[in-house]
Amino acid sequence: MTSFSSGERHRLRQGLAFLSPWIVGFLTFLLIPVGLSFYFSFCDYSLLQPPAFIGLANYRELMTDPVFWQSLRNTLTYAAMALPAGLMVSLGLALLLNQKVAGQSIFRTVVFLPSLVPTVASAMLWLWLFNTKLGLINTMLETPPFAALIRGLNAVLGVLHLPGVQPPIGWLTDPAFALPALAFMSVWGVGQTVVIYLAGLQDVPKELLEASELDGANAGQRLWNVTLPMLSPVIFFNLIMAIIGSLQEFSGPYIMTGGGPARATYFFTMYLYDNAFTYLKMGYASAMAWIQLLLILALTAIAFRTSKHWVHYQTK
Amino acid sequence: MRIVRGLILTALAGIGLYLLAFARNAGPEDARGRVVVTYWEKWTGNEAEQMQEIVRDFNDTVGKDKGIYVRYLSMSNITQKTLVSTAAGVPPDVAGLWDAQVPQFAAIDAVEPLDELATEYGITPDLYKPVYWKGCTYEGKLYGLISTPAAAALHYNKSLFLERADRLRAAGLDPNRPPRTLDELDRYSEALDVTETDAVGKKRIRAAGHLPLEPGQWMPHMPYWFGGSVYDEKTGRLTLTRPEVVRTYDWVRSYSVRLGKDAMTDFTSGFGQFNSTQNAFLSGAVAMEQEGPWMANFIEDLKPSMNRRKFPKEQEKGMSPEERRENYEWGAAPFPSAVPGLDDVTFAAFDVLMIPKGAKHKKEAFEFIAYVNRQDVMEKLTSLHCKNSPLHRVSAGYLRNHPNPYIDVFERLAASPNAHGVPPVPIWPEVSDELTVTTQKIYLLQATPEDALADAQKRLQAKLDAFRARQRLRKGGAQ
Amino acid sequence: MSRKPNPLGNMIVLVALLILCLGFALPFLWMMSTSLKTLDRTMAMPPQWVPDPIVPQNYVKVLQNPKLNFPLLTRNTLMVAVLSVLGTTLSSSLVAYGFARIRFKGNSTLFGLMLATMMIPFPVIMVPLFTVFRWLGDHTGVPLLGTLTPLWLPSWFGSAFNIFMLRQFFLTLPMELSEAAQLDGCSEFGIFRRIVLPLSRPALAVVALFTFMGAWNDFLGPLVYLQDPGQYTLALGLQTFQSQHGGTEWNLLMAASVLVISPVILLFFLAQRTFIQGIATTGMK
Repeated sequence: MTSFSSGERHRLRQGLAFLSPWIVGFLTFLLIPVGLSFYFSFCDYSLLQPPAFIGLANYRELMTDPVFWQSLRNTLTYAAMALPAGLMVSLGLALLLNQKVAGQSIFRTVVFLPSLVPTVASAMLWLWLFNTKLGLINTMLETPPFAALIRGLNAVLGVLHLPGVQPPIGWLTDPAFALPALAFMSVWGVGQTVVIYLAGLQDVPKELLEASELDGANAGQRLWNVTLPMLSPVIFFNLIMAIIGSLQEFSGPYIMTGGGPARATYFFTMYLYDNAFTYLKMGYASAMAWIQLLLILALTAIAFRTSKHWVHYQTK
Repeated sequence: MRIVRGLILTALAGIGLYLLAFARNAGPEDARGRVVVTYWEKWTGNEAEQMQEIVRDFNDTVGKDKGIYVRYLSMSNITQKTLVSTAAGVPPDVAGLWDAQVPQFAAIDAVEPLDELATEYGITPDLYKPVYWKGCTYEGKLYGLISTPAAAALHYNKSLFLERADRLRAAGLDPNRPPRTLDELDRYSEALDVTETDAVGKKRIRAAGHLPLEPGQWMPHMPYWFGGSVYDEKTGRLTLTRPEVVRTYDWVRSYSVRLGKDAMTDFTSGFGQFNSTQNAFLSGAVAMEQEGPWMANFIEDLKPSMNRRKFPKEQEKGMSPEERRENYEWGAAPFPSAVPGLDDVTFAAFDVLMIPKGAKHKKEAFEFIAYVNRQDVMEKLTSLHCKNSPLHRVSAGYLRNHPNPYIDVFERLAASPNAHGVPPVPIWPEVSDELTVTTQKIYLLQATPEDALADAQKRLQAKLDAFRARQRLRKGGAQ
Repeated sequence: MSRKPNPLGNMIVLVALLILCLGFALPFLWMMSTSLKTLDRTMAMPPQWVPDPIVPQNYVKVLQNPKLNFPLLTRNTLMVAVLSVLGTTLSSSLVAYGFARIRFKGNSTLFGLMLATMMIPFPVIMVPLFTVFRWLGDHTGVPLLGTLTPLWLPSWFGSAFNIFMLRQFFLTLPMELSEAAQLDGCSEFGIFRRIVLPLSRPALAVVALFTFMGAWNDFLGPLVYLQDPGQYTLALGLQTFQSQHGGTEWNLLMAASVLVISPVILLFFLAQRTFIQGIATTGMK
């Protein structure tokens, strides 16, 4: 403390002055609520009665609650499917949308559209697309080219002694398909990610690409050796956002499946929400929230660890 | 392009500014110095408008005399909002919730006990059908009064019975009446099923007699028809592993086995939403369903032809309910029980008016609740909503003029000693959700009823025990 | 990238985009189509893409719905959106400047803390936040619950995402600019106001647009804080067409949804270039 020079103290005062709005907001609108929720996680709390301290009981109960583990497993499985799919599709889209073609701004707007349509509306549409009997997807799978494809797939599965696929597929009614179906659907909401990738692509120096082309690199090599490394910080940013987002997935699946069939799509946040507002166990829900927060922090930390090896900063 | 862009942006900004400056709230209705009672209700659409009519009546009569003005607000996610606002100390004066919230909210002191006010207004248990009064109480105290109740009954499609009369007769069944025992229901159902095998050799269902899960919202209460219950009030324990409950779920399973679970899920996925003409019952996909008395209203709205089998609606005027029934393609009867001699079994559901803890105008709020529970007002409201009455006494005119010609069936069911409501379990929503999942597991043949129910019993009883232990601790600590 | 025009490659890209965009436009097209149907056709199986009959009156019905004062809902939504945009651009840029341009002890710790706050799930703090607003109302004498204030007030204290974006942008501005200004006797705030802010217009535009869209479509916040229908926002007003027992008027719901989101779509379409370049310069690094 004594080592503070007057210049340092001056800078500290100035820095804090600029930060003051955030500090005030952080204390009032985040720290107090978060602190309260941390305290509640050690309490029996229904919102209506004052919280009563019960120590680690909520956490202990969670450890032996099969639904907690199932929702956690579902969420992680979903994230393992939705996250890479979303990141790759959005990157591919961004690369396409970066090409100078007629109607570029219309295409960009259209890709962003699904993120603007209210969740109820898009959920309704997907319910139909996935419908076992009348849905567009199953109708398509019954056309000859797809039927042949499925026969081929079944032949391969048969050799591997795995059960074959038999359309019509119960996308949302068969526990084996419900989670992949929702992950597939999530790819649609990549609009915001695409916009951020697009922005990143504007920053890839044209000179580097031109130089690479002069060296005889083809489009694929330019993408792999120049564009992707230059884009890696943006990919990293989107990865972090996707981790946060996919572990908190909630409203679409909540409207569409309500967590069913037989809890096959019951996500962590759904159980949290149900505990808080349907079962009135705010303490239990708070404990879940803290576990979720720690999980997100842990995954983000791992991502930061690995980032050294693949994220290249243009200037350092 | 730039000009167009600028123009559009300016126009948007202009509209925005105009609205910011000039759009005004018409202001709350003119309450003229009366005490304003805020009333939150879950209904939207027709049901909301009908309830608002009752509110207007109140404001024009009793409210006017006593200086009370009720302000009706349609509220989405009402349980959550009531809870949060009560916790924050700004609750509504009256909250229109569901029956399951009576034990749940009462157990955590979220609502005011109403015994004293009820006595003051001369509202006593003997005025009500026992099942409804009981549903409004928790541990001997009154916490709410009914807004609209319902009783579940078997709805059957008379036309489909006649269409497939040969098959029914071949099975030794009478196509001119509904089944009277559960065993008979199963046989009717099998005879009414229409299945076929498609090109790939897969079984497909074209139409079904009955499906235990269509519409399925009452599945957690199905053990009542098997002479059991999922909860024992004497011991205060859940009883999911009792033989009656296991039998109930064996029955559910038998349908999956007989029809094939894939064929069944495939078939049910073609049903539209409840409120559409693609509703399984309205479209004729399922011939027998368990539904509440409101079905008559839904049919009138969505498929009026089903309510005009023989003659136009106007001719029904002045006819007795029995005569009117001829004009309906569907009938209603008690849903048959599995136990011989156990008659008129029903699940009695209801919507309830409660006063949240900390409401500012408790007395005035009760004035309104008492008004809704007056015989004439209740009969008007339940006729509008097309439901039965919660009150013990009903007028002859009510039964005669009710939009549902089968109202006497529902009235009888609701008054029956075998009518049961939501069990007084303070964690009922959790129990109900778990039972829904258990049903799905059994129906998808993922687990046997014994195993699935044993798992559910273990998990739920532990939750219930923990809840009770903490409430005891809390009460002990306070003293 | 396509320095050399390559007609064949261009064609392939165009076709690929057309197919993909058709997929992405589906929900919106579905919404448009449903908004023009009669109620009983909305749930028809198999679904109709082209409504028959076409019912443009749905829009009239929505706009004239007595229970849904559309101008008022729009006004409320605008109020929240505009105040949020103003608040967050002002406060976030101020805070971002502190993080980006002033080297003081604890800067990076606080920055890390701020990033961590982005990971807190909203349902966790929703209820305690309610208590905070009540407490604030009781102690300042200005009632906050039951007003629009809780919806925009927090944005006047900076939002983590915006601060993060703006900080990245401010970092790319050469430090020499500030040093030169300092030599001329300019204060830190002066540098912020006269030099950094004017240079950051595109980044501020992005923050403003993202915030505007967020506030426009926010559902959970208004759901929790608003009770009086006179204060409802558009997103919440849409619920009027949705019933808990079924009985949802899907056609009207969709017509209202189209009305609600079309200004935002228009805004995005017109601004997307600025938008994308705006984020581009912030770098995300």
